[in-house]
Order: sequence, then C-alpha cells, then structure tokens
Amino acid sequence: MKALTFSLLAEPEERLDLSGLTPASLARLTEAQIARLRVGTSRNPALVGDIFKLTGKDAESLVFDGSSSRLDRIGAGLNGGAIRVTGDVGSQAGRKMSGGSLFVEGNVGHHAGSGMAGGRLEIKGNSGDNLGGPLSGEITGMEGGILIVRGKAGDYAGDRLRRGTVAILKGCGDYAGYRMIAGTIMVTGRVGAMPGYLMKRGSLLFDRPPEKLSPTFVACGEPDIAFPGLFDRFLINEKILDKPLLGQKPGRYGGDNAVSGKGEILFRRGRQMS
Amino acid sequence: MSVAWVGSQPVSLMDAIQNAAKLLASSRCPVFTLDTDVHGTRSAIALAERLGGAYDHGLGETLANEVSLFTNHGGMFTTPGEARRRSSLIVLVGEIPASHHEMLESWAASRPDLGDRNKRLWFHASGSGTVSADTSKLVRKLKAVSLGGDGLSLEGALAVLRAELHGRHVASPLVNVAQFRQALNKSQFPVFVFSGTSGEAAGLVMLQGLIADLNKNGRASSVFLPADDDAWGTALTSLWMTGFPPRTGFSNSLPSYDPVRWDVQRMIREKEADLHVWMSTRGDETPPARGRIALISLSKNETPTAGAAVTISVGKAGVDHDGVTYSSRVGTFRAVAASAPSQLPSISSIVQQLAEALPGRRALPC
Repeated sequence: MKALTFSLLAEPEERLDLSGLTPASLARLTEAQIARLRVGTSRNPALVGDIFKLTGKDAESLVFDGSSSRLDRIGAGLNGGAIRVTGDVGSQAGRKMSGGSLFVEGNVGHHAGSGMAGGRLEIKGNSGDNLGGPLSGEITGMEGGILIVRGKAGDYAGDRLRRGTVAILKGCGDYAGYRMIAGTIMVTGRVGAMPGYLMKRGSLLFDRPPEKLSPTFVACGEPDIAFPGLFDRFLINEKILDKPLLGQKPGRYGGDNAVSGKGEILFRRGRQMS
Repeated sequence: MSVAWVGSQPVSLMDAIQNAAKLLASSRCPVFTLDTDVHGTRSAIALAERLGGAYDHGLGETLANEVSLFTNHGGMFTTPGEARRRSSLIVLVGEIPASHHEMLESWAASRPDLGDRNKRLWFHASGSGTVSADTSKLVRKLKAVSLGGDGLSLEGALAVLRAELHGRHVASPLVNVAQFRQALNKSQFPVFVFSGTSGEAAGLVMLQGLIADLNKNGRASSVFLPADDDAWGTALTSLWMTGFPPRTGFSNSLPSYDPVRWDVQRMIREKEADLHVWMSTRGDETPPARGRIALISLSKNETPTAGAAVTISVGKAGVDHDGVTYSSRVGTFRAVAASAPSQLPSISSIVQQLAEALPGRRALPC
C-alpha cells in the first residue's frame, strides 16, 4: 500500500500546526475526514484539504511532499510509524515524540525534537536554535531517543538534555549542552562558545578540542576508558558516522564546576581547528 | 488641529475609527505593537483577543531577553526599597541602564537602617571591556571593587565566581575574590543588581544559581532593573491578563506564548500578518519600515504616520491625561497625573471606540 502523501499545493498564507497529522491520529479516518482537519492558526484557519493534495492510503507511513518554513510541529507527539518530509519545515518538528521515525530532508526551525522521549528524528539539513530543548516555562528537555542533524545546529543545542543522544555533524552555535542534566551530545565540526555551560552531568563529545570553553571546565588528561570505543561503535551501527569519532585516547575536560562538576567534554586529540 | 487622518487626508475622529474598524474586521491575521500605559495595554490586549491577533511590545527584542530569565529559569528577587534598607553589600552585574544610575547613587549616599546596618560595600562583576562609559563612570563613583578577569566574558566571570565560592577548581581565577568572600561573610543580606541588558540570558541564569547557593547558608537576593520601565509595565499587565508576557497570540481564541512565533516584527517581515496596529505614546516614534502590510497608527504625533492607512493622534499618560505606569524605583505600578492636560484622546478610549465599531458592537471588558 502506498504511503499516505500530503502534497503541498502552495506556500501557506499562515503558519500551520501539523501536530494532528500523525499515523496514530489518522489511523481510523477517511480521506474526506482528514481533508476537513483544521491545521491553520489564524482567524480563518485553513483545513488540510485547502493546503495539501492527498494521495495514498497507508497511514502508518506518511509523506509530506513540499517545503515551507510555515509547517510547524510536524511529527509532534509521534509514537509509532514513520513520517518523511521532502523539504524544509518550521518550528518544533518532532516535539514530544516518543516512538517511530521522523526524517526531514531539508532544514528545520527552532526547538526541533523539543522534549522528545523516544524514537528517531533525523534532519538532513540544518536546525535552528534550542535543538531538543524545552519551551518557555518547561523544565525538562529531551528525555530519550536519537536526534541527528546532518547539517549545522543553532545555539543552545541540547538545552536541559536529560537522556538520549543528540548527534550534530556540521558544527553548532554557542552554548551546546547548556544546563544539561545527563545524556550525550556529539558534534563534528566547529563548536561555538561556552559548550556545557551549567551542565551538571552527561557527556559532550567533539571531533576537535573546544575553542571557547567556560573557565569552569578543567583539563583532566587522557583517561584510558572503554566508553569512547563503545560509543564509536554505537555511532557507526546507527549509521550516524562511518568512522570513529574520538579515537583511542581522547582528551577530557571536567565541569561545569560552577554547578556540580560531574559532566565531561571528551574530544579527539590532535585535529587542527578549521 | 486635526487628530485623525485616512492616508494623509485629515478626517473626523469618527471617520477614522470607522475606517480602522473595517480594516480590523477584514483582517486575517492582525498584529499589535504596544507601547503605552496600563489602561491602553489592557484595552489593546482585549481587542487582540477579540480579533484573534497577536501582540508584542515596541521594544520586543529587549523585553523578550529580559522575560526569558523568568520564563526559562526563574530566580530570587527583592524590591529596590528592601535592598536600600537592608543590604550592606551590593554587587552590580554587567551593564546597568543609565536610567537607574541616579537611584543607585542615592543608595550610596545612605546606610542600611535595617539588618546589619554596616557601611555599604559595592562590587561590580563584569566581563572584560563589555560595559559602557556611563556604567564605568557609575562604578568609579560608587567605588565598586571589580570582580572580573583577563579575557573573561561576564558569563565566564559569573561562572568562576560561583565555582570559587564553592571552593572548586577553575582554569582562570577572578580578581578580588578573597575581598568579596570577606564582605560576603560580614553581610547579612547581599544583593545583586542586574538588568536584562547586563549580559546573555545564560549568564543571568548562572547569577540566579549563585544566589540560590548563597541562600543555602544565609540570605541573598537580586534586584532586577528593566531596560525600559514602560516595557516592563506592559509585560506585567500582559501577565495578569493572559498569564503570558508579550509575544502572545490568540490562536484558536486561547492565548499562547511563543517568543519566536509571535515576534510581531518577524511576522510583518515574513508577511504572516496582514494588518499592523501600531500604538505608541512615546512621541515622535515611527513603526519600523519593514514589510508592506496595512498599518493603523495610534501614536503621539501631530502628523499622519507615513504609509499608514489610518492615523489617530493620541495622548501620553502622565502628560496629556492621568494614568498608571510601572516604576522600577518603587518596584511596582504608580498613578501618574497629567503634567500638561490636553484634548488628545487616550489609547484606551480609542481602542474602546474601535471595539464598538466592529461587527457585533460589543464593548471591551476593560
């Protein structure tokens, strides 16, 4: 059966909230019922049928064919099945997802994967600020799952990360791992200022020495531990990287000593900064 | 003198209201930029709610940065009066807006009359080379002892200070930490004075963590001095009306706060909004010339606003009419009497008339 496909007819006039279009919520609906779902957020909100042309039947596998930064909250609350987007999307993609997979072929806006607890969110392009982080007024960030950005991430990636893995492959902005509680963030490429600021525990893994570190991180030598090897294997098995990230004896900083000082930054030694 | 225009043509106030109401009634996504007193803000928010619009303050970016400390983290705060009367140790943090310098100088001329009553000591935590000439002058006047380090940003300096007070290792120490520790031991109520423009939000979160640490063994607090009193008054008014600060929208009739999604200037720039209602009693202010969408201007100007479909000239609270505004000096709202009463209408009265001219003709609740 062909995947249920939402083909974008034109750039929407208003921002759209697509959180209602997940495999679980569409499972028992007919095409006519889906077309009548409200997705607009303005005074005269648009319906699915105004914005998309629907084809296919398999609601376990959704495809959004099109690209617009006004497509917000795509895959929010996803708990099973698969969603693929062929272009860019707006903010809060994959927010609070707990299972299944969301694959975005373009760029995403801010708060992608915000508060996700499980599943796999993969972004082929770049992501905005606050990747995986909580919204205003919330106190927990990402709590599980795998979040992969194959491009560059903005500032505050992994804010308040509690559990799970964030992988960023072309560098990120300032304050990566800000207020991290636990979990793992790996970054290849250039990392902005103050990674790990206010982190309590958890691991930041870089493919090069960090450039602008908070002075509350202190060098801890080259620990001979099994973790780098194990994690490299995980990254390769998950097809996130095709070669080891940290190598045999990575360098290590401990911090943030302004908080509990139980977090760590592990980095590959010897690589030149670009 | 005319107070209302349609385009650049002077019209009666009633004609201008009717024209503006037509634009509001037909708008798909109206957005409101506010910069007015409490009554004007309340009326404007009630109108935005009725129309399913979104609102922001004229200094939206600065206000959003200030608000983020409260929405994303929280903190311990006291009033300026309490700090003046009880604190013998004041720590200025980063840049302090010039509008508050006079108040801080008046604190320096007094001694605390409650609590430890010792002579007041001043410190200044800052990043290297990041404060303005005005703040540097204030620091010299107050004889504040520097807490900083070579090449350290304010965020770095606050992190080091917090770690050093815990006795933990740091890669780059601060100057005068021993002197600060000594002052801290003597003081019964150290107070940190900061502004939303003092540094990045992350640094202010670190500062609040430091204050929380100090409260494990004693008392300490902070005084927040807003970059702009009127803007902060709008934030508080918005909070009591909707539960959220500005950058709130009424999608599906319920208020929702999102500092990116409801950033009115962004919405205009990216053509998500189709009508902009600009309300400013600051005087001679003009809306940013970005985006080409219909504009209704309620502003304290004597001429029509360039590019506006409708302009109505309004008065300012405390000048043209009585009103209520926020004062950071007292840490709350205060009544202000008109200093030069005029016939210019208040924003609140114009917004009420706009609501009554809309289809349904219902008055606003405030």
